[in-house]
Order: sequence, then structure tokens, then C-alpha cells
Amino acid sequence: MAISIEIQHLTKYYGKKQALSDVSLSIPQGMFGLLGPNGAGKTTLMKILTTLSKKSGGEVAVCQIPIENSRQIRNITGYLPQDFSMYANMSAYEALDYLAVLSGMDRAERKRKVPLMLEKVNLSEKQKTKVRSMSGGMKRRLGIAQAIIHDPRVIIVDEPTAGLDPEERVRFRNLLCEIAKDRIVLLSTHIVGDIEATCENIAVLKQGRICFQGKVADLLSLAEGKVYAAQIAAAELEKAKQNYTVTGILTTGGTANIKIIAEKQPFPQAKQTLPDVEDAYMYLMHKA
Amino acid sequence: MFYVLFCKECKQTVKSLVYYIYVVVFVLFITSQMSSEGSLKLQEPQPGQSYYGEAVTKDQTLIMEKTLANLMQDISRNLFATYPLGFYKGVALTAPEKEQAQEILERCTGKSLEMLEAERNRYFGQYGQPTPKDAATPLPDYKVPVREGLSYGEFEASMKEICSLVGKGSSYEKSSYENKTYVPMTYEQAKAEFDALCHQDRITNAFMRLFCDYAGIILAVLPIFVGVSRMLRDRRAKAQQVLFSKPAPAAAIILSRYLANLAMLFFPVILTAFLLQQPYLYKAQTLGVRGDALAFFKVCCLWLLPEIMTVLALSFLLTELTDTILAVFVQVAWGIGSLFGAETLVGSFGLHLVTRWNTLGQSTLYAALEKDLWRNKSYYVLLAVLCVALTVAVYDKKRGRGGSILWKNMQN
Repeated sequence: MAISIEIQHLTKYYGKKQALSDVSLSIPQGMFGLLGPNGAGKTTLMKILTTLSKKSGGEVAVCQIPIENSRQIRNITGYLPQDFSMYANMSAYEALDYLAVLSGMDRAERKRKVPLMLEKVNLSEKQKTKVRSMSGGMKRRLGIAQAIIHDPRVIIVDEPTAGLDPEERVRFRNLLCEIAKDRIVLLSTHIVGDIEATCENIAVLKQGRICFQGKVADLLSLAEGKVYAAQIAAAELEKAKQNYTVTGILTTGGTANIKIIAEKQPFPQAKQTLPDVEDAYMYLMHKA
Repeated sequence: MFYVLFCKECKQTVKSLVYYIYVVVFVLFITSQMSSEGSLKLQEPQPGQSYYGEAVTKDQTLIMEKTLANLMQDISRNLFATYPLGFYKGVALTAPEKEQAQEILERCTGKSLEMLEAERNRYFGQYGQPTPKDAATPLPDYKVPVREGLSYGEFEASMKEICSLVGKGSSYEKSSYENKTYVPMTYEQAKAEFDALCHQDRITNAFMRLFCDYAGIILAVLPIFVGVSRMLRDRRAKAQQVLFSKPAPAAAIILSRYLANLAMLFFPVILTAFLLQQPYLYKAQTLGVRGDALAFFKVCCLWLLPEIMTVLALSFLLTELTDTILAVFVQVAWGIGSLFGAETLVGSFGLHLVTRWNTLGQSTLYAALEKDLWRNKSYYVLLAVLCVALTVAVYDKKRGRGGSILWKNMQN
């Protein structure tokens, strides 16, 4: 069975409000990044893919299984919601074991896999720690363990690094890459750095529509020749922000080194520079 | 999967604070009620005793005489005790209403209020007792003779008129005077009751009915809190989304939760019943009766299990449906309404959630009413099953929507 997610002309309405509009996407095996600002429709798309929300129109198939077959879809997907938590009085082991039961695993399988998963997410030593005492990072790691424990073909993670410190974030991203070897990991985020560090294929959602789909290199090429670096007086910073999309500012004394997105050279001292993913994303967001 | 989930749910319940509060409140309530019962002093009635207790009478003449005695007393002091919503409300009539009530009394007795008051004063005077002018009722054995030729139908119509004057919940409602008119028992009646208590009920069964009477009151309310707390736990713990995304069937999830909570709620009830039954087993032995050692289980299963099932199932349904604590308000009101809506403290089961048997014995009456009790309990078992089935359907529906089915769920 081919490991892929096929989405054709997907629409979703909440009452009269359209959350997704004619979304078509093809997601292959490996890490796939879904980027977009808050309110772009990422969580709605995630919920449809995890059968937690019904589509209003279009077609969705996960590993060739139509999304309407919710039971089968739940069997082959693992989901880490945005603000994952579990019953506060459960230990890490108990919580994972409980969720493994709900994933349909028998006693022998759980006995083998629960310690294995805790080890994989580096929680072995904290297996007796209660959920109420866990840090945000520990909860996310527990969350990823429950999402992969039943060996799903598709893992959907929604804003997994929000609120984590830099070290936790790097560790978490590495973990996601590691588990994406033989399945799809769909990573939804508004943090461009996460996508840059982990995904080759990405899609960008803006106001419920796909405004970019392709490889990270393609996204970068969109912004090529449109990113400028310049050194200006700190006093002129406000004026620059009003007139251009400024993606970076480094102020030292009375001068500021800035990065600007512009269709053509904004002022004589501005020099073209290579875009990074964040520049390309900002270019896409501010393009009419 | 089901058995594992059931065990894990039991463990979760035991760890919850609400459950401990349930156990403590239940045990305190039941032990305080049962310890005030003097039923361990139970003795065989002997001829020549001055008092053998009282029993509800179905004799229409006695019902009329005792009810009219009460009416005379209420009109005399112009204060009618009513319980419209289960709570006491004293009603005083206006002058024209009082006059109308006096006319009704005169129509039923053939005597004016003044004449009846004079007779009452003479009656109590001959025993050297003070006239109970301000008492709510005259002494228990005081009766007012009815007018010659007064039919029971006329009496009923007259009492309806009184009800329209004083409002709902008075002792002049048919259900009240027909079920709450007590008269002193004779030796023969008391002996027959005692024999039935020993041989039909083997003492322990009668005691357990009394236990269930008290337990039934508190169990109409306490399980609500355990049920609501369990069903809100997913949301409070922010675990709803991840639980919804798992492939386990909704029926397995809800049923395991329901049965685990039911078992954990019933366990302290059964244990308390078992412990409190022991002195009665011993008492039965001293009276030469072989007590029923399993009475605690059999009687509790019939009287209390359907009630707990219903209260818990409805709290599951309302909480799952609304994601709020609405069930607490609705069900507490229902429980209190059912408690105060009972026509009598012994029998009259109807479809009341709280079934009453606030007496030790009356075994003959119980034998006559047992079918009604089974009907009542079967109804509540079916209601509980329906509520659980609906909870499963609601859970499944919510799962497909990622959250509430009543409120809008808009997340991007």
C-alpha cells in the first residue's frame, strides 16, 4: 500500500465561515511541513485528516483509504494535538499504557512497546513522573510516544514545538526526523525554523488556501533577488518598517543592519542577499 | 480491550478526590441515620401491652373521621400545613375562605365548628389533658364522627374543595389521607406483623429495606458528582482530542467508564450494608429465626442498583452532551423532587426515583406491593440503558466533530 495522503478540492465551512477553500495537496512519505500564520486553517486540515472534523466538500484519502472510513484511518494514523496532555494523576507509563489500550494493543504488545517508546523519547527515567509534574517538553515527548506506539503509517503533529526552549525544540525536531524514515510525518507549524530544519516538502496555507506547494528549494527560489541587506541609521528604522517588509534587524549603536523584502532595490546602499526560508515565507505572505 | 479499560477506569476512580468525598458522605449519612434506629430492640408483642405501634388504615370511615379531626383543628387555628414543592408552607385562609372551609366541615360532620371545638375540649377535659388548641393535629386517637349518610364520594369531593382553598401539598389530598392515616394496632395485628417479619422477611430482609430507604435518599444525589467529574475529566485534562483520535470504539470507551464507575459506587454501599446487617443476623438468631445472610446483597441490588445506574447514566449523558455541570442542577432538583413527591414514606412506589420504606417490617404490605417495586426498578434499569446508549451516540458524534456537538467548535 502506497504511503501518501491525497487531498483534492477540499473545503470546510464552520457555519457560513469558510475555513478551507479548494485545498489540493499530495503528501509523500517523509517529513512534510505545513506552514501558515495563525488562523490559516492548519488545525482544521489536521483535524479532517485525523477524522476529528468532517469535510464540507472534496476528496481526501490517507494511504488510499477514503477519510470517511474513520475507524480504518484512526488505525493507521497517530496524532499529537497542539496542546496535548493526559490525566494529571497518571504517570508517564500509565498514560502511555492507557493510550496504547485505546489504540487496540494487547497486553503482551504493550508490555514490550511502552518501555521501548519511553526510551525512544528519552522518558525512561521519568516513567513514574505524574503528568501534572511534567514540563511542556516532557509532555510533547510523551505525546509523540503515544502517536507512534501503534506503529502508524501517518503521524500528524500540530504545532509541536510552540513554547519549548531551544534545546527541547532541537531535540524534538530530531526525534521527528528519526521517526519519519518509513512513514509520513505531517508537521504543522507557524515557526519557519522548524520546517527549515526538518522538511524537504512543504505547503503554505494562507486564509484557508494553499498558496505554495513544493520543495523548500522552490520556496527559496521564489524569493531570490527580492531580499536586500542594508545598513541604515537607527533613526530611519521606523520609516523603513513602514515602507518595506523588514525580516531582520540588528541594531548596533546608532546604526541598524536590516534585511528587507522588495521587488526591486529599495535604496542605493541596499545590496541583494540570499534568502532563507523565513524570508521566502514572509515574501509569500506579503505578496498580494 | 474492554476488560483492561474497565480495570484502568476503576483505578482512575479510586484515585479521584470526588470518589473519596462520595464514600465519606455516604458512610456518614447512612451510619448517622441507622444509628438513630432503635430496631435492634425488636421484641415479640405480648398481650396486655398499652401500645403496639401504629399502622396505616384503609378503613374509609376511619380515614374520614381522622381527616375531619385534622380539618377541624386546622380551621380552628387557621393554619394549614402544606408542602407544595416538598418544603413546608403554612397557609392561613382569608375570612371568606375560612367561612367556606367551615361550611365544608359542617357539611361532612353535621355540626358547626363551635360544637366540634366544644366536643374536643370535653374529650380532652375528661382525661385531664389540656386542650391541644395550637397543636398541628389533635392526639393520634382523636376522631370526629361523620354526618350520618355521608358517602366516601361526598367526602372526597369536599376534600377537593378544601385543597382548592389551601393549595397543593396539603394532607387533604386523596393520596395523602388514603396513605397516611395511621391508627393504633391491636395485639393481633402486631403479632401478625411480627410473625411476618420473622418468617417472611427473616428480620434481615426487613432491616435491609430500611437501610435502602435511607441509602436511596442520598444515592439520588451523590453519584451525580462522580459521573459529572468523570465525564469532564477528558476536557479538564486537555486529553479529549487525543482520546478522540484513537481507534477504540466509542461503546467500549463509554461502557467501560460507566461500568467501572457503577461498580465503584456500588461497592461501598454493599460493604456498608453487609457490615450493618451483622447485628441483625445476631438479633434474628436470639429470636430463634434463621436470618438471611445474603439479604444485604439481594435487597440492595433490587432497591439501590437501578437507582445508582440511572443517576450515573443520566449524569454521563447530560455531561457528555453539554460539556457542563448542568447535570448537577437538573438531577439534584429531580432527586429532591422525587423525595418530597412521595405520597407516603412506606410504599407508593409508582415511578419515583427514590422508593421509600421508612419502617422495619410491614412485611404483609411489602408482599402486596413487591410487584410495583419490580415495575419501578425495571423502568429505571431500562432508562439507564437508554441513557448509556445515548451517551455512546453523543460521544461518537463529538468524536467526528472534534468536540462539542452543542456549541460551535472553530479552531484553525
